[in-house]
Amino acid sequence: MDRLRVGRRALLVGSALSLGMGRARAQAPVRLRSYWWGAKERADRTERVNALFTQRNPNITITGETVGWGDYWTRLATQAAGRNMADLIQMDFGYIFEYARRKALLPLDPFVGKQLDLSGFTQSSIAGGKVDGKIYGVSLGLNSTSLIYDRTAWEKAGIVLPDWPMSWSEFARRTAALTKAVGREGFWGTSDAGNSGPGLEVWLKERGKPMYTEEGKFGASAEDMAEWFAYWQDMRTSGACVPPDVQALDKGEIDTSMLTLGKASVSFANSNQLVGYQALNKSRLDLAMYPAGEKGGKSGQFLKPSQFWSVAATTKYPDETVKLLSFFVADPDAGKLLGVERGIPASSLVREAVAPTLDDMGKRMLDYVSFISDKVSDLPPPPPRGAGEVLAVLVRTNQSVGFKRLTPAQAGKQFLTEVTDALSRG
Amino acid sequence: MAKSTAWRWRGHASAYLFLLPWLAGFFGLTLGPALASLYLSFTNYDLMEPPGWVGLANYVRILTADAKVADSVRVTFLYVVLSVPFKLGFALAIALVLNRGIRGLPLYRALFYLPSLLGASVAVAVLWRKVFAGDGLVNQFLAWFGIEGASWVSDPDYALYTLVLLSVWQFGSPMIIFLAGLRQVPGELYEAASLDGASALQRFRNITIPILTPVIFFNVVVQTIEAFKAFTPAFIVSGGTGGPINATLFYTLYLYQEAFGYLRMGYAAALAWLLVVVIAAVTALSFLTSKFWVHYED
Repeated sequence: MDRLRVGRRALLVGSALSLGMGRARAQAPVRLRSYWWGAKERADRTERVNALFTQRNPNITITGETVGWGDYWTRLATQAAGRNMADLIQMDFGYIFEYARRKALLPLDPFVGKQLDLSGFTQSSIAGGKVDGKIYGVSLGLNSTSLIYDRTAWEKAGIVLPDWPMSWSEFARRTAALTKAVGREGFWGTSDAGNSGPGLEVWLKERGKPMYTEEGKFGASAEDMAEWFAYWQDMRTSGACVPPDVQALDKGEIDTSMLTLGKASVSFANSNQLVGYQALNKSRLDLAMYPAGEKGGKSGQFLKPSQFWSVAATTKYPDETVKLLSFFVADPDAGKLLGVERGIPASSLVREAVAPTLDDMGKRMLDYVSFISDKVSDLPPPPPRGAGEVLAVLVRTNQSVGFKRLTPAQAGKQFLTEVTDALSRG
Repeated sequence: MAKSTAWRWRGHASAYLFLLPWLAGFFGLTLGPALASLYLSFTNYDLMEPPGWVGLANYVRILTADAKVADSVRVTFLYVVLSVPFKLGFALAIALVLNRGIRGLPLYRALFYLPSLLGASVAVAVLWRKVFAGDGLVNQFLAWFGIEGASWVSDPDYALYTLVLLSVWQFGSPMIIFLAGLRQVPGELYEAASLDGASALQRFRNITIPILTPVIFFNVVVQTIEAFKAFTPAFIVSGGTGGPINATLFYTLYLYQEAFGYLRMGYAAALAWLLVVVIAAVTALSFLTSKFWVHYED
């Protein structure tokens, strides 16, 4: 009897406590961390959205962490190993499979229609963030690869703009002509994109080969690669692109790109990066499609999610984190702050709200994406594990050719050997 | 008897209590992780999934099938072989100059030591990158004399040498040790030798060097280990790539890339243990040869 009474009292106390805790929890301060790569322009916009979110949800504060692309993945891997990932993580198409399959990301399906509002999304833009049938990432914007070029320089030199339709050999001729016409020491027509993964992927697709097969193998032959390296070696010889010791200054970020450093007029980039590039460049920049096969050839470009928001599997606040994610991709006010810096918003509702607020540059990007949409092909198979190393091998092998350590033919063979090894190790 | 052990234990207990912070650090932060990494070197650990045992596979690949290991070993040995002697030679030369009793010695000593304080920092490596870039300070200087310099840091022929130079520039700590060693050389030996007509060079060769050998030995060992472990300069100057074309791919940098770039922590752990073995072997070798050239006065 006694015992029962104690039990009942304990029960009462316990439920009172849990009630109180429930109430306290709703207002309890929640601290979220978000982590993304990008330049300052992106950081400013992201912080503004974070601030707006906090204003509407005063109990949630957000700490933003940002680094450049070059350091992003090593740091994320370290944090993942230490079970210390940020709650909200910017994710790339090239890595989402690795992280999802290693169970580092939270499947978002249970939140759809609740905390996560995907009502403005098409099925195909949701599918872009799916791995093995579950949603692990929500697109922050649609983009495609794009040449970003210094329109002022081209117009002043009076050379035909590097614009669609343009074959690879025409691109070579026009950039060489620009180098000559500008005639400034330390300036060349284009950056050396023999090291560019996206450049290679588009070039290969135009020859009917995927960069990676469905089985996760490299999709091209040593002969294809030899031709690729030879194309860029010819570009160096003709003076169309920057020499290798200059290209080596490029660390793969906007602020060290040849275009921003004033060494070249063309960058092999992504369409959404126009915002970041324009912020660092005085002359008027414009977008153009990557070159294609000979005239009338089909483009190897494709529309893709520029990047995702993903949620760490280790987050203590899944509800709040997903709510923040949803705010970024579905709230029109957040959309206006973000603009098209991460690409064209995937949600049609946000897109409609954002379109009238865009400046001239934003409109150019919107025009570009709609211009290419009937020229692009399907999304290729996702990059397998080890794809990150493939990009590093590409940079190094292209340098070996540039510094004349290898002939293009040798480079093609060596590249394929190394890449096959890297992909087999995962 | 029992009483005395208890008493003795109490005496030890307080000693261990005082040692506790160090012991906790040693077991928790040094020995524990070291053993864990030894275990991981036999696994395919990828930082996120639980490690799976692969036996000697990592070691076999490193020793037989990995071309980048060969590249990075070559780069690292070249760096050690060049940077250690030059750095020590330079340190000794400056120490000799400072030891001649010039005025304002403390000031010079501090000034020369400064680069060593800054040396390991990221900022200096960034600065180095700028100074030796194609349009950097060095080439602007050379341009005054009509010399067109190369793009030192981004040319595979020169990139490593800029790092050697960076290391030599940080000669401060061996210099301080040399300076302390020079102070120990008894003045009367020089006086006696001078009276016997020994030239400055002879005095240096037959008095200074022999008496200094223990200090030289110490510096050689310490600097060699440091050089094997060098990481920051290559990481910053090459932007983490070890480029151009692996020209600055230090072994430690390769290890880092495998671990954090490509998520092959197990493989990287094996690389790290081989580095430990090599450093231990080189150090043991220096100790063995020291019998033949290091003179202890007593």
